[in-house]
Amino acid sequence: MAEDLVLDTAIRDWVLIPLSVVMVLIGVLRHFVSKLMRTSQVPDAKIVKEGQVMLRARNLRASANFIPLKAFRARKVYFCNEENGLLFVPKGQAQNPQAQMLSDPNMAMDMMKKNLSMIIPQTLTFAWVNFFFSGFVAAKIPFPLTQRFRSMLQNGIDLSTVDVSYVSSRSWYFLNLFGLRGLFSLILGEENAVDDTQRMMQMSGFGFDPSKGLSAEKDNLDITQHDWALPTLEQRAEAVLKKLVS
Amino acid sequence: MAGHNESRSSEKKSSNGMNDLPTFNSENMQSNMKIIYYSRTFLSIIGGVAAGILGFTGLKGFFFYFLLMAVTSLGLIAKAKFSIHSYFDSWNRVVLDGFLGGLMSFVLFWTFAYDIVHIF
Repeated sequence: MAEDLVLDTAIRDWVLIPLSVVMVLIGVLRHFVSKLMRTSQVPDAKIVKEGQVMLRARNLRASANFIPLKAFRARKVYFCNEENGLLFVPKGQAQNPQAQMLSDPNMAMDMMKKNLSMIIPQTLTFAWVNFFFSGFVAAKIPFPLTQRFRSMLQNGIDLSTVDVSYVSSRSWYFLNLFGLRGLFSLILGEENAVDDTQRMMQMSGFGFDPSKGLSAEKDNLDITQHDWALPTLEQRAEAVLKKLVS
Repeated sequence: MAGHNESRSSEKKSSNGMNDLPTFNSENMQSNMKIIYYSRTFLSIIGGVAAGILGFTGLKGFFFYFLLMAVTSLGLIAKAKFSIHSYFDSWNRVVLDGFLGGLMSFVLFWTFAYDIVHIF
């Protein structure tokens, strides 16, 4: 391989550091802009109700062993019976989420806003990086890589003799884009708007069908085995007390 | 290492050591998981900068990362007073969670610090 390149310190001062700082600042800016743009939509009463029912059913399932068999059965019937149980969804009544989405322009609008707030800054930053910093060898990663990574790391310089571990400025931008996620989650807190993967997850889960969740919860509750915890409770209490006394 | 400081006092124990009933408070568990994630991310960023300044290259740097994560795991386990199962549902949570996510940050900051200090 070719010997080490000598990189100008001006590249560090005017390309590498500004690029990284700008990436961080743009991430912070995006976080606050999307926070401002977020509309607090009025939740649909039916959806909230179904969510609460599911929550209750889940709680019942989790703590089934702490109530007597009779009480558990009564609750189970209340949730799961085939006529008017809370979790029972009549066939054909389940709404098609796609149709629902189309009928509600607000929803589509909201999604578009979210999308735009993600795409616009990225395009702008990419154009900016392309315009100012194209063609620099900006960095060198401290570990060797195979030729396969050349197109990934040396985007924008067409030299096949340069060692693969040298990174062009455009690729440094991409590395920043992916690697700064951890930093953002530290400085911006839990629900930052920058987290693209989470966004993707939300989008794929967008057409989530509540009635499907209900029937899944119903199945789960149906197969729950009841095993009352009280008979063994005395021994446990004894053990705890003994430990306290001794 | 900051593994201790970062994981603030873990939430109230959700189950006693001796009982065999699965009594879990999922909110507490989520908060514990979040703490793990934060301490991992924090340490991988700090570790990346440290590795870059020390001038590790190649496999040495990755070994450094593994070592760092092992130390983090140890710190978290020590923070949980060596009774993992009263705070988490399995060992994997403590040992493996956030490993790959941290690697990305580690590599980025490693490269950054290494370039600034050693290349130019």
